[in-house]
Amino acid sequence: MSNETASTTAEAPNRIDSIRQRLMESERFGYLLSPGSGLLWVLLFLFLPMTVIVAFSLFRAGEFGTIIYEPTLENYRRFVNGSVYHRVIARSLLIGVVTTLIVLPFGYTLGYFLGRSKSRWTPILLGLVVVQFWVPLVIRTYAWIPILGRQGIFNDFLLWLGVVGQPVEILYTTHGMILGLAVSIMPFMVLPVYSIVSTIDEEIIQAAKTLGASDARAFREVTLPLSWPGVVSGILFTFILSAGSYLAPQLLGGTNDRLIAPVIETVFSQDFNWPFAATLSLVYVAMIVGILYLFSRKADIEEALEGTQL
Amino acid sequence: MSIRKYVSDVETNWNWHGIRLISALVYLTMILPLIVVVVNSFSAQRIATFPPRGLTLDWYVEFFRDDMFLSAVWVSTQVGIAAAILAGAIGTLTAMGFVRKPFPMKKALSIALLTPMIVPPVIVGIAATSFFAEIGLDRNIWWLIVMHTLLALPYAFLIVRSRLYLFDETLEDAAMTLGADRLVTFREITLPQVAPAIVTAMVLSFVISFGEFTASQFWVQRETTTVPVVIYSMVRTTITPKVNVLATLVLVITIVVPIVGLAIQRWLTNNTN
Repeated sequence: MSNETASTTAEAPNRIDSIRQRLMESERFGYLLSPGSGLLWVLLFLFLPMTVIVAFSLFRAGEFGTIIYEPTLENYRRFVNGSVYHRVIARSLLIGVVTTLIVLPFGYTLGYFLGRSKSRWTPILLGLVVVQFWVPLVIRTYAWIPILGRQGIFNDFLLWLGVVGQPVEILYTTHGMILGLAVSIMPFMVLPVYSIVSTIDEEIIQAAKTLGASDARAFREVTLPLSWPGVVSGILFTFILSAGSYLAPQLLGGTNDRLIAPVIETVFSQDFNWPFAATLSLVYVAMIVGILYLFSRKADIEEALEGTQL
Repeated sequence: MSIRKYVSDVETNWNWHGIRLISALVYLTMILPLIVVVVNSFSAQRIATFPPRGLTLDWYVEFFRDDMFLSAVWVSTQVGIAAAILAGAIGTLTAMGFVRKPFPMKKALSIALLTPMIVPPVIVGIAATSFFAEIGLDRNIWWLIVMHTLLALPYAFLIVRSRLYLFDETLEDAAMTLGADRLVTFREITLPQVAPAIVTAMVLSFVISFGEFTASQFWVQRETTTVPVVIYSMVRTTITPKVNVLATLVLVITIVVPIVGLAIQRWLTNNTN
């Protein structure tokens, strides 16, 4: 017994040494492994499932949610011929554009404010924007329901102002949905703009003004071009997130607000038509790849994705 | 002071006031909904008005009697912690590889690594569900952990990588010149320098996992329902004030956990510098 213990303790340092030795010798292997772990994860749990989707889109659905494994282009034909799906896509893109047009000026203004403000409250104000990322989207979306309803604060306020004579319908309408969407996506515009504006040297702007530029001109010709990368990152995120939104159309939108993400979910989970859901998913992914391609000719995608980091 | 200069200053002030006004408006829209949720969780009425007429803790009492809610909070917490550890570890390893090792197609591969940020969550959800069904796996809590790790990974990677870019590699050379081997160097020099970023990455991964709904709705089961799924289904069916209690508790968790995490991170930074 005591012999055994003695021998293991004597061996242990040797073994650790040999492991270390091996690790040092296999340095090359270790390095190879390290970028590999993340890539493997993405490959196994995103790219591989995506190929399953591609395969599914080439089959058709049988009864009771089964899949008939005979290759067919039926799903693609159904999409091409189905004007209802064209409308869903067109509407999603339109909502993306409208939301971006709303988020851009407000988000830029707040980002600019945070980047320029010298108040000692600025860190707290910035923290309040970051916190928006932490609070689950489902909470930030449903929280609008009691505000926008007929008896909600929003209507109370309008009535009190005398703008309207009786409560307006805003909950379960496109307006309500866009409002909820715009607010939930706002941080994606504010933070990249903030992080760029805060690095712009104020002396450059002063120099422009000293040379006779008006505020507006100094902004247009100095601040705006310099903050452009942040704006581009914000636009990319705002557009993609709003066109593909799921929660806002489901919780705040009206019956006409059938956007692409909820439609895909319905086809998948309620109609149990997995092949057609796969086809719609691929169309949607193709759309996003197309947008990213157009985008990548104007800006660096990787940089834009990094833009949301503080 | 010339009149021209004076006018220009007034203009500047007016612009600044406008900017502050718009900023205040944006803050109002971001914060008011959250305040309403918290206040309504104490409202004495079933259909809450704002401001409420009368306060009560009844909903909290009912909430803590409901096993489904407590189980959802417990599942989300477990999954969040597991995803934070996995995404933190894998993200760190991957970032080390990307920063230190030259290999071909680095740019393309790093974009591949960031794709979980861009692929719409509905599709991530459907693709994984189809895949797991096809290989014959039953959905369980491990799916949630694996998939939440996938969704958090790009963020963890980006955070650790940007820290590694700032890291002075000559410190490692110095340690190894002084006789430390690679493991000791990693433990004594590299890890403490990168630790704050790893903590940030883990905190963010926890928060992403805890709040994810759109993709997760496909992966949950009755026994492994997560908090966002419970909130969604409650809002879709019956709005009971208990949903406000759950949301309030989640608000506290998702705000307090990161703040504590970032406090630890700050402490780590102060200790290394």
